Amino acid sequence: MAEKKGLLKRLAEGQIWTSIFRGGGVPQSRRQRMMVVLNSVFLHLHPVRLPKHAVKLKFTWCMGGLSFFLFLIETISGILLMFYYRPTIEYAYPDIIDLAEQVPFGIMREVHRWGAHAMVITVWLHMFRVFMTGSYKPPREFNWSIGVILLLLTLLLSFTGYLLPWDQLAIWAITVGSNMARATPFLGHEGPGAALLAIGDINFVTVASDVRFALIGGRFLGEATLLRFYVLHCIGLPFIIMIFMSVHFWRIRKDGGISTPV
Amino acid sequence: MPDANKKKTATIKPVSPPPAALSQADDNTQVTRRSFFSWLSLGWLAFVAATGGFFTMMLRFFFPNVLFEPVQTFRAGYPEDYEAGEVDLRWKAKYATWIIRNDEGIYALSTTCTHLGCTPNWLVAEQKFKCPCHGSGFRKTGINFEGPAPRPLERFRIVLADDGQIVIDKTKKYQQEKGQWGDPEAFLKV
Amino acid sequence: MEGFKHLIDSLTKPTILVTFTFIIFFFLFPPSDWFDKWHRRLRFNALWGKKALLIINVLLVAFFIFGLGDPDFRAIVLKPDNVPISGLIFLVFFFTWLSMNQAYKNDELVEAGKPVDEHYDAPNDKVLVWPDLVYVEFICLILFSAFMMVWSIGLAAPLEEPANPSESPNPSKAPWYFLGLQEMLVYFDPWMAGVVLPSLIIVGLMAIPYMDNNPEGSGYYSYKDRKLSIAMFMFGWLVLWVLLIVIGTFLRGPNWNFFGPFEYWDSHKLEALTNVNLSEFIYVKLFNTGLPGNILLREIWGLLIILGYFMILPPLLAKTWLKDMYLKMGVARYSVFIVLIITALTLPIKMYLRWMFNLKYIIAIPEYFFNF
Repeated sequence: MAEKKGLLKRLAEGQIWTSIFRGGGVPQSRRQRMMVVLNSVFLHLHPVRLPKHAVKLKFTWCMGGLSFFLFLIETISGILLMFYYRPTIEYAYPDIIDLAEQVPFGIMREVHRWGAHAMVITVWLHMFRVFMTGSYKPPREFNWSIGVILLLLTLLLSFTGYLLPWDQLAIWAITVGSNMARATPFLGHEGPGAALLAIGDINFVTVASDVRFALIGGRFLGEATLLRFYVLHCIGLPFIIMIFMSVHFWRIRKDGGISTPV
Repeated sequence: MPDANKKKTATIKPVSPPPAALSQADDNTQVTRRSFFSWLSLGWLAFVAATGGFFTMMLRFFFPNVLFEPVQTFRAGYPEDYEAGEVDLRWKAKYATWIIRNDEGIYALSTTCTHLGCTPNWLVAEQKFKCPCHGSGFRKTGINFEGPAPRPLERFRIVLADDGQIVIDKTKKYQQEKGQWGDPEAFLKV
Repeated sequence: MEGFKHLIDSLTKPTILVTFTFIIFFFLFPPSDWFDKWHRRLRFNALWGKKALLIINVLLVAFFIFGLGDPDFRAIVLKPDNVPISGLIFLVFFFTWLSMNQAYKNDELVEAGKPVDEHYDAPNDKVLVWPDLVYVEFICLILFSAFMMVWSIGLAAPLEEPANPSESPNPSKAPWYFLGLQEMLVYFDPWMAGVVLPSLIIVGLMAIPYMDNNPEGSGYYSYKDRKLSIAMFMFGWLVLWVLLIVIGTFLRGPNWNFFGPFEYWDSHKLEALTNVNLSEFIYVKLFNTGLPGNILLREIWGLLIILGYFMILPPLLAKTWLKDMYLKMGVARYSVFIVLIITALTLPIKMYLRWMFNLKYIIAIPEYFFNF
């Protein structure tokens, strides 16, 4: 053979490359390109072929994809922040300052915080796009509802993260937020109906036994609140949102892929 | 010879006699349709009870038996330390309490806004407590008159100790809308 | 210049701003043929053309640049946590425009008997995910990462004083995406604004596909066939959510008073806001008697009004004004729909009652924490 193969081409046809990417070589034929998607666990989230409007930005705005991407950014930057942050009243605030001043590449908190803001916006805009294209109509009703839950979880994730710097902004936002829970009908000690859940003089729903207490772990905001919000923010809510996200993505495929005119 | 094989497998005789339940329909040990369903429902009941118990335990897990929270009772000095007609801010930061003396006596107001728990500011010029979060306003007495606060500020139990010092007990609250401000320990007559 | 600032300050008074929005809104997003007629007669449909996009964006940018020259405006807009909201204004306008622009184009295509823009001839018009979609995603991802990096390096995340439980900052604001809720908290008791209404928003959003049984407009941008549902969604999203966030961010100042965007945040600004409950209106102002001691007797008027509003209004509407809708939707869908709608409407109603009559609660039973 007179033709001399280049290094890249030899690599791409070698044993290592072909063992990782089945089919080997640079995908050029239609069949090879379809196999790329079919053979990849990540790309397999997508179908193999799409209607042509599904790749147009003016139709999708890419907002669903960006929301997912932002979730990944938040996860990664969040894990990095966890290496330095200690969720106690004594250390939380100084640790946040150290994160900016003592840690190399000290913009992780910025990435995390602005990413959180951006994620709220992209999730909203994604919902807006889905509404405007009527993509919630049958057979996608259920997936829309899952999406609404994802929106709620996004907001809750952002809200629980708000407390962690333990600054003025944090505790007053959480004071207001947790006192709303105090007013929950029947379950909060200042909610309508709570006084009815009593035998004689013994109230069952009190400041130390209501839904607000369960949330903040005490009668006042304090050490326990910080820890509870930290656990919810880092483990509890991400765990739940990942379950709903999997269902959401799975259902997109099962409901026939991206919505199209009938 | 496939035909022979097929026949062979089909005509094998059962080695053991059929199970008792199949041959004796009226035997007492048989699981009847009815008893099967009652066992089934019992099983499900046990399952539901166990699950319910598990979740109750999980819920109860969030309510610890001991709380490590700051002390709720403090001594606030002598009645002479407070000037009539003034709102005293000295215990605001430490104990979240305003002590106010008027012509008849002294009362202790909670600094927690009854709307959503922010701390209002005492505006001397306007003689009112104004909450920065949602704009609730309270008069010096604690009565709400503007903004969203649904009810007046709470008052704490206030008594004199043996040595003549004021003792304020924040665990006992008096609410105006329940008519408790007239209670003897909601107000310290001087 | 000062005259212009004063003009903006007085136009953004909540009564004027909200009233203006309410009046103009349904001419911008017509929910019925009648509104649509006027929408076109007033040439509002030009808003979704290319020229309007350019003009409005230029005006918005010019307004922000002009505003940044003013110290009070600058103080609000450049507060780090408020930066996303300035961005949100541009984004929401742009994406509203983009969707409406495509919807109107598709409506014209449908009217001319042609297939809509998103129409494709399956399976011939399908494209491959690799490379067509994967590359689009990849480029989006790169550009967006670069954007996040620039944003994170350029703007430090806010960090205020260490927490101090005895000193609320003035004003104390919730995270910006909850400012709509915080605004509701001014008009409603916390159990309504903090618990019931947010739950209903979530439930209502989840119920949209089950209430909207109009099969038209699935999978492509359109307006004409879905007037009512789009107009109502837009109202909830643009007015009751985004507008309330903008008001909460830019117009709410110390002591939670209203301030114009160019007004100095004076924490001693005096506003007479003495609030009165309905029972006090009736017994004290109207009958000139004191409040009756019996709670039920005291609040009977408010209870009757609320009961009437929630129990009598829906069937009444089903018989009269919304008859067609009732027949089309059926009992179950209609009931859920109408209860959600009239609950949402209590917000503007209570806002106006507060602004005009200083009315606080229609039912006020603080003894049992039941205020409405």
